[in-house]
Amino acid sequence: MRVLVIEDNDRLAKLVADGLQRRGFSCDIATTLSDADSALGGAVYDAIILDLGLPDGDGVAWLANRRQYRQMPPAIIQTARGALEDRVTGLDAGADDYVVKPVEIDELAARIRALLRRPGPRAQPVLEAGCLRFDTAARTAHCGDYAIDLSRREADLLELLLRRAGTVVRRETIEDALYNFNEPVTPNAVEAAVSRLRRKLDEAGATGALHTIRGVGYMLKDVAA
Amino acid sequence: MTYRRSVSRKLARGLALVGLVGTILLLAAVVFFYSLTFDDLTAQDALIKAVREMLEHVALPLVVLMVPVAFVVRRVIRQAFDSLEEAATAIEAARGHERGFRIDTSHLPAEALPFTDAVNDLLGRLDDAAMRQEAFAADVAHELRTPLAVLSLEFDRLDHDDAARLKNDVAGMRRLVDQLMLLAQVDATAAAQFPLESVSLVEIARDVVSLLAPAIIAEGKAITLDVGSGIPMARGRREAIAAALRNLIENAVRVTPLGGTVNIRVGPDPVIAVGDGGEGLSPERLRELVRRHSRADHASTNGAGLGLAIVDRIMAAHGGQLTTDPAVRELSLHFPSA
Repeated sequence: MRVLVIEDNDRLAKLVADGLQRRGFSCDIATTLSDADSALGGAVYDAIILDLGLPDGDGVAWLANRRQYRQMPPAIIQTARGALEDRVTGLDAGADDYVVKPVEIDELAARIRALLRRPGPRAQPVLEAGCLRFDTAARTAHCGDYAIDLSRREADLLELLLRRAGTVVRRETIEDALYNFNEPVTPNAVEAAVSRLRRKLDEAGATGALHTIRGVGYMLKDVAA
Repeated sequence: MTYRRSVSRKLARGLALVGLVGTILLLAAVVFFYSLTFDDLTAQDALIKAVREMLEHVALPLVVLMVPVAFVVRRVIRQAFDSLEEAATAIEAARGHERGFRIDTSHLPAEALPFTDAVNDLLGRLDDAAMRQEAFAADVAHELRTPLAVLSLEFDRLDHDDAARLKNDVAGMRRLVDQLMLLAQVDATAAAQFPLESVSLVEIARDVVSLLAPAIIAEGKAITLDVGSGIPMARGRREAIAAALRNLIENAVRVTPLGGTVNIRVGPDPVIAVGDGGEGLSPERLRELVRRHSRADHASTNGAGLGLAIVDRIMAAHGGQLTTDPAVRELSLHFPSA
């Protein structure tokens, strides 16, 4: 996976690129927006990490402008500003995610992986988290070499959790995604589906991968601990 | 010396003096106009007449004049001081919202204006000074972020046993810097008299728990949210309330042992309670912690720092309270009923 880091602080850019490289990404650095333009012209990137205050212009305006005319890889905005207004502006401009500087490399890597799991023009056919692999076309799941036998609904649930691995998926979101509008949902239908899926994951060796956050939702761990 | 110059007492004395001087002058006038001599006064008939004259021309006018004057003066003074007392009540009511507070002079007598204007001017200068101080702290915090990020990333790259420990120390510094910036933001919004919106405490709790849960689970701890009946609402700023809850949960996670659970309860009253696996915090200790720079003894090297001070500030700005119940090991955010 190839990532373009756009950041004017030379040292910070190198450290971020270096950290991502050690986590399996290949990285290029652009310290100005014109550098970024030429890098994007010369190679295909899976994701870009964009600092907002750059010497030759504002990152948000640049991103909005590029989004209008060209196909762009998903972008994560990285900025020292943490205010809500900035976040809204950034997301309106076409950013896919937003991190507040200074960010941990592990968190950044997790966000990039999450972006690449999202459905979209560059969506991956196989979703992975820890030992789990899910083929979105064939609807089959594996933990390592072990094939997990899933019902249609369990497969949908696993896909939903995998696409957002490492983040909490709200109960209501699961309910909306798994049961259609007219279908009556019993109060503990989601709990039951989750506990069936958890049992199957445990049997497959992915023990403790699926977490319950009581009162909120569920989370699939991003990396096997 | 506890002697106070009371305006009422002074006026009473003034009126008494006026009465005395008036009496003497009127008596003199009566004596002069009626050409009374000492001999007249010794004669029985004349004395009765003189006394009657004096009562008619001295005592009666004095009573007719002085009583209404005393009454009106008393009333005017009371009214003038009532408005001052109201202003004092307003000042007392502004406790916790001192920033940007000015004495409302619209109901005060003109004579009080030079004084209140001077006080308002002083308040303005104090506000400016506090603002400059906070802006400076925020600037310093902001400037510290990038070098701390660089330092943290450098440690990340270091393949050494001590690297993790050092990185942990840097993370503690970064948290402190973030808290400083948050504190500056809270103070700034408190000063701005932000428009109040009605926010759902359950929604805020769900958001914050969702956001923090991955890191808490990665640490080998758990978090749960119990929602009571009803729809507890609060009036305030969503971001600020979320920041308060985040700080409280981060604090709870820190004192919860491995494998323990942090439990959040919301409703039915407008209260968010955060229960942890720690030893519980006594009200005295909480008061100490809320005073900015102290830190609980049982906290690790990445201690709470300014966390609880920030929570307390945010709650004060919302007319609410941060309380502790050591028996059930809970810290709670109490919002006024909407």
